[in-house]
Amino acid sequence: MADRLERLTNLVAVLLETRRPLTLEEIVERVPGYPTDRESCRRQFERDKATLREIGVPIALEALHAFEQETGYRIHREDYELPPLDLTDDERVALHLAVTAVRLGGGAAGDGPAGAGREALLKLGGIEGEAAPTLAALPDVPALPALFDAYRRRARVSFTYRGGTRRLDPYGILFRNGHWYVVGWDVDRAAIRAFRADRIESAIEAGAGGAFERPEGFDPASALRDEPWRFGDEEPVEARVLVGPAQAGWVEADLGAAAVAERRDDGSVVVRMAVTNRDAFRSFVLGLLDHAEVLAPAELRADMVAWLSAMANPAEATA
Amino acid sequence: MTRPDAAVRLRRLLTVIPWIIDHQGSTLDDLAARFGIKVAELERDLELVPFCGLPPYTPDRLIDCEIVDGRVFLRFAEYFGRPLRLTPAEGFGLLAAGQALLAVPGADEKGSLASALGKLAGVLGGGDGMAVELGPARYLEPLRAAAAASERVEIDYYTFGRDELTTRRIDPRAVFAAAGQWYVDAYCHKAGDDRLFRVDRVRGVRPTGEHFDAATPSAAGAALFNPRPSDRRLTLLLHRSAAWVAESYPVESVEETADGRLRVVLVASERAWRERLLLRLGPAAEVVDPADVRVEAAEAARRLLERYG
Repeated sequence: MADRLERLTNLVAVLLETRRPLTLEEIVERVPGYPTDRESCRRQFERDKATLREIGVPIALEALHAFEQETGYRIHREDYELPPLDLTDDERVALHLAVTAVRLGGGAAGDGPAGAGREALLKLGGIEGEAAPTLAALPDVPALPALFDAYRRRARVSFTYRGGTRRLDPYGILFRNGHWYVVGWDVDRAAIRAFRADRIESAIEAGAGGAFERPEGFDPASALRDEPWRFGDEEPVEARVLVGPAQAGWVEADLGAAAVAERRDDGSVVVRMAVTNRDAFRSFVLGLLDHAEVLAPAELRADMVAWLSAMANPAEATA
Repeated sequence: MTRPDAAVRLRRLLTVIPWIIDHQGSTLDDLAARFGIKVAELERDLELVPFCGLPPYTPDRLIDCEIVDGRVFLRFAEYFGRPLRLTPAEGFGLLAAGQALLAVPGADEKGSLASALGKLAGVLGGGDGMAVELGPARYLEPLRAAAAASERVEIDYYTFGRDELTTRRIDPRAVFAAAGQWYVDAYCHKAGDDRLFRVDRVRGVRPTGEHFDAATPSAAGAALFNPRPSDRRLTLLLHRSAAWVAESYPVESVEETADGRLRVVLVASERAWRERLLLRLGPAAEVVDPADVRVEAAEAARRLLERYG
């Protein structure tokens, strides 16, 4: 094991220091420890290369000279080195609190993605100060590192979502209501769209960096509309819903005070809701059970009555 | 514990060497603590360093690593002067954790964490397009304060599953965010047991002037949702359009039927919770078992219809 670590360390040093790409033969000359048999040597080098890529060492494969077929390997220093961050001790203490207080993926510290934040911290100068008790647990989603990388490089991505292929310029990444979203410009729909990262059904394919400009002042939080009854392409309709006193406070906090059209003496409120998705609207009202009633418009009230009537008489509905 | 493989050790070496170059004479103890490893592991890694370097591997081309009185000195390794840049997973993990902590109400928006994240975002690129929201909750701060001071409080709590408002005395041990909600892990004097309360369903918090023993370990915080064997199970056949149920709730089993529907079993012990789910799903769900739940949904629909009479 020690031999391999020694060889890998020397390999990184040689590839960092070379001023031109090195062929496999040249690498083997310079880095001791490769088998003499050509085929096993190649296999060993492939394994070493995979190990280096696994830990994030950027190995470039380049033509030896212009117009030549033969290729060689090198590591460009500017792709390898972490730019200086000049963190203060206090800032490292704060980051250490963050990676211990916030768990990603529910794993224990040191495992999987939870460990990734800690690994990052080590590169930034290591652990400083005390650990914090768990304050928040965020889900981990396999697509996130690739989406994040595309977002920071401004690379266009494509992926499968609900059975279709989507092309997106990722402007931002947002965590809201327990879910991760990628928000950006949907190339084919020519509109801002948000996608739940955990519902992406394929690997993320990313193109070249610098492919788009993010709009000035883009804010993912305001781009992702929170209210599901607004997520839709139906003709917009303003609904009025009466909410009983037991739920009035919560509904007002959820929709905002501006949504309140009327306050009644018994503590109930009438709220206005802009509806472009009738299914989501009905779901919201039904979630309030006996505490809510659709007042207007007549059309949405009739929808609700029809829905409830079908459920009240299941035999008729299926007959 | 399994022996760390070459990838783990190489990553560690490429991280520790730059720090030592910048901090000559660091002690083994400090380095081990800083990089989260045992002193013996660190020594084993450093023993290897003098054999590494550049061709032709003559003494002037090998890394010079000396340990004198427990202090480490490194020379001739300028090419390892900077750590390796962050992988996407590392950059994302650190930024996400930092932004989550900063999103906790009461966090200092101008403090060390905010400035550290600013520097990090500057190096990683992307700008300010990443945001973490942990959601506001009206009584979060008094509950966090009570937990921090081990103060018993009286709360008004809306029990979603039964659609009722209750008042109870609780010993709040910890407050945390998970699955998109804030929770209080507490001993509940009304239930005589540990409970998790959703902070957004707390409708009032009052001090009692009493303190509790903070040393008592909690049983509620271990899992967010601990079904008991006696809890009621509900078996549903879901139409494709209702497949989100299997994603959004902890289901005990999911299987696809021959006609393309999903057969799911979930724990649903509270009647109001079941009513809400079934009313929302409507024709997209069929209750397979138990039969009386089918009747419940129809009854609930008739009850709500009375308002529209």
